[in-house]
Amino acid sequence: MTTDELERLLAQQPVAVLHRLARGRVHRHFRAGKRRLIELLLQHSSQNLAGLESDLQTLIIDRQGQSQLPPGATRTAHRVPSPPQKRSPNRGGEPETSEPAVSLTAWLEGLGVPPPQPFVPDPWQSEALAALDDTDVVVSVPTGSGKTYVAVEAARRAMEDNRTVIYTSPLKALSNTKFTEFSKIFGSDKVGILTGDRQENGQAPLLIMTTEILRNLLYDAASGEIDVRLDTLGLVILDESQYIADPERGVVWEETIIFCPSQAKLLLLSASIGNPQDIADWLTSIRPTASRLVRHSKRTVPLRAGYLHPNGKLVPLFKTAAIPSGHPNHLHPETKRLFHEYEDETMPSGRSRR
Amino acid sequence: MPPSIHPVDLITALRQKHLTPAIVFLTSRRACDEAMESFDVADIVLPPARQEVIAAALDRVIANYPSVAEHPLIPTVRRIGVAAHHAGHLPSWKIAIEELMRQGCLDAVFATTTLAAGVDFPARTVVITQSSIRKARDFTDLTIGEVQQIAGRAGRRGKDQVGFAVITPSPYIDLGVLTKGLTGHPESIDSQFTITYPMVLNLLKAHPHEQIHAILAKSFAQFQLNQRAELLERKLDTLHVQMEPFGPRVCTDWITQWQTFDQARRQRPHRLQVKQQESPELTARFHFMTPGRVVGLTRGRGIVLRQYRSKGQRNPMISVLRPDGAVTECPAATVAEVFDRVFECDETSAFPWCSAASFDELHYQLTELPTRLPTLPIIVPKVSESLPDAIVQSLGDFPCPTCSSRPACQKDVAVASRLRQEQHRHTKSIQALRASLWHRFQERVEVLQTFGYLTPSAHLTDDGEWARLIRIDHSLLITELIRAEAFAGADPALLTGVMASIAHDDDRPGAFPRISTGLSSLLGQVRKLAESLSPYEDPPLLRADIAAVAERWIADPTLTWIGLCRLTTMAEGDIYRLLARTLEFLSQIHTLHATHPGLADSAAKAIALIRRGVLEELP
Repeated sequence: MTTDELERLLAQQPVAVLHRLARGRVHRHFRAGKRRLIELLLQHSSQNLAGLESDLQTLIIDRQGQSQLPPGATRTAHRVPSPPQKRSPNRGGEPETSEPAVSLTAWLEGLGVPPPQPFVPDPWQSEALAALDDTDVVVSVPTGSGKTYVAVEAARRAMEDNRTVIYTSPLKALSNTKFTEFSKIFGSDKVGILTGDRQENGQAPLLIMTTEILRNLLYDAASGEIDVRLDTLGLVILDESQYIADPERGVVWEETIIFCPSQAKLLLLSASIGNPQDIADWLTSIRPTASRLVRHSKRTVPLRAGYLHPNGKLVPLFKTAAIPSGHPNHLHPETKRLFHEYEDETMPSGRSRR
Repeated sequence: MPPSIHPVDLITALRQKHLTPAIVFLTSRRACDEAMESFDVADIVLPPARQEVIAAALDRVIANYPSVAEHPLIPTVRRIGVAAHHAGHLPSWKIAIEELMRQGCLDAVFATTTLAAGVDFPARTVVITQSSIRKARDFTDLTIGEVQQIAGRAGRRGKDQVGFAVITPSPYIDLGVLTKGLTGHPESIDSQFTITYPMVLNLLKAHPHEQIHAILAKSFAQFQLNQRAELLERKLDTLHVQMEPFGPRVCTDWITQWQTFDQARRQRPHRLQVKQQESPELTARFHFMTPGRVVGLTRGRGIVLRQYRSKGQRNPMISVLRPDGAVTECPAATVAEVFDRVFECDETSAFPWCSAASFDELHYQLTELPTRLPTLPIIVPKVSESLPDAIVQSLGDFPCPTCSSRPACQKDVAVASRLRQEQHRHTKSIQALRASLWHRFQERVEVLQTFGYLTPSAHLTDDGEWARLIRIDHSLLITELIRAEAFAGADPALLTGVMASIAHDDDRPGAFPRISTGLSSLLGQVRKLAESLSPYEDPPLLRADIAAVAERWIADPTLTWIGLCRLTTMAEGDIYRLLARTLEFLSQIHTLHATHPGLADSAAKAIALIRRGVLEELP
């Protein structure tokens, strides 16, 4: 909608609608007459055209619905009146930049299924796999980046080399899921599972277990009750290894890594953490070869953040479509306004806002 | 306006914008269940074609996991394509829902934030409704890592070009926590290394005591402690550099030297002040110069009429009646002798300080005095002068007053001593950081020695040999119970009951079946032992009601899963987890078959009895 069109549309509306639209957008709107009000609203629309438009549409629809009601019912309040607005809409936070905020349409753009593409591993995936030939690898990437692909490929290569692979996960449920998944990929005779209450195919070349079980195996091996299979062990994959910071169970990951046989390569897969370099440095200090850190923070599928108001209105959360890394205050003006409105209405009176 | 969006409106809004499938993270299981209930009356049913797809997918899952078929949520899942997924559900249900999500059949899943890590399925959209999470009874703000873990479920590789994280407010939400979480850099993680009893036993089994130090040094904990120690060492180095201009001067340890000298110097003026005031001798003598006392002055004698202190200088003064009848004022210090003779004196408050009769009488007595009078032996109290004297003497020993670097020392001492203090502090903390793990290990070794699992030379005793196989929480309690033969003759049901109460660490209240007397008295014993072990190991909750649930399942092999669920208000998933964890504990007991065949046998029986119904069906 162009500015002219908007102006015409606004001029058609009764002044009550304009006042309602101006609430929270225009400072002291109740002082302005119709013409001035339209002027001010048009000025505001340069900041957030999309929000204004969609609100205007809702108001028009509301009004049409009301006009169909019998006269007399029109006056019933269908909306809790919001408390008087004492401030201009862009108080607090950072001064607005001149750049206009993203519109909902632009924010939703790209939604949908991508065209089918042949699978090409990401550079970091290839890098991790290549490094694993020589040394231990620590992978720290965002959730959903395709860590499983690295695990599967690494396991495949080790098994082709006639080496045993152990894959551990922190939760029994995850172990079970992976067991099903890996059985589909490698064939059920190649995959075994050992958890606290389940043991299947314990002689398979790819063993899935909880980290506790692996720790116990390593202790048994260290104390002389030799498990021959540890000699052929070529690769240990520790999934979700950010669990090393778990207050109760973290120690198990440390024990496992300390006692992991030196001929086996370690592959630590972790979600994004703040200090993956520390983990890599630690591994370097206790393992025979210098370990390799593979990290990146860019998601494979880009993420966008939105704000859904309890009345069902969806707006972008940030001024930009993508998440503005490092700028938590770059909120979309419309989100800011709606959230303040929400806080005003839900906060017990007298309680100051944080 | 409602405090938060209604689940039906939420799903409608998401569908309208094509933001499904979505995972909706809610605060609690109850919130998930209530959300599901609200769809019972909703009319946002799926078109028949999609309902059929869901039904077909469900049938395929049910073929593998029959227990799913009886789930009360099935109609809602089929009709509307939404489901709940939280720890209160059986694993089979969760697997079914995950499978349906992977196939893209469902529009939304309501899950708890607590289980965000366990939700291993992606969606196009993630809906976040809160900014805090319940951890150990308290609500704490989500960390950046947690927010990203939750938001990370949005956007399926290969199925979505973009993922969406949608925040919808609920009361007490803090938008700042979430925006910071979305835009921030995740927190660093820290080692949570603890030294457990089984760890000590297993380490000592495989390695001699003197090698353990090197093994502990390989931990991430030690790595991080070393990092901190290195940081301090770097600080120490800069301190060394800063200290350089304050290096050895005339004396090698000039800071200490100066500090002692300074201390001594500070004490001297204090002593001089005492001397200036009045000698203790004078004070003692002044005490005896009362009216009527005969005193010897530099010239002739006199009788004291009054004593006072001069107004300005507070010097001790006396008024004296002289033989010629005059009254003179003189300082007490001028009194040469105090004689052992006192006359009656009728004091008055004005000159001549006594009554006229008394004055005449005294005058007469004064002239009549014999030439020789005995003096008053006055004992002067000893003032502890030894310390100041010593200092005065030692001040002479200090080279400082005449030293050439005295001005420099005086100027630098404040900075230099502060730097040196910091140096000492850092050195101490570095030592503590480097040795803390080893100290903690030694503490554990000592406890195990007192309990008899380790010999004084830190080798495993016979008890230690088997105790090292119990590698679970509360291992000390369990091994002590075995040693106390608490389970002697106990049937599998009792053993399971006790293990369940040790294994369960949730204090969620509820209604539970009645406990048998045998188990109740056994638990009493266990509780007593746990109490006595509490200085060495945190005692478990040891809930009798929880024990009763596990006991029932074993004691009555005809009891069905549904029957067990009816006996208690515990959620299915919780019962399942309780039994699964008990199973783990029992399988640890089972590993003791070589040393405790009876107990291991009982554990094996219990394991076989637990695995039935739903527990057998699972992968």
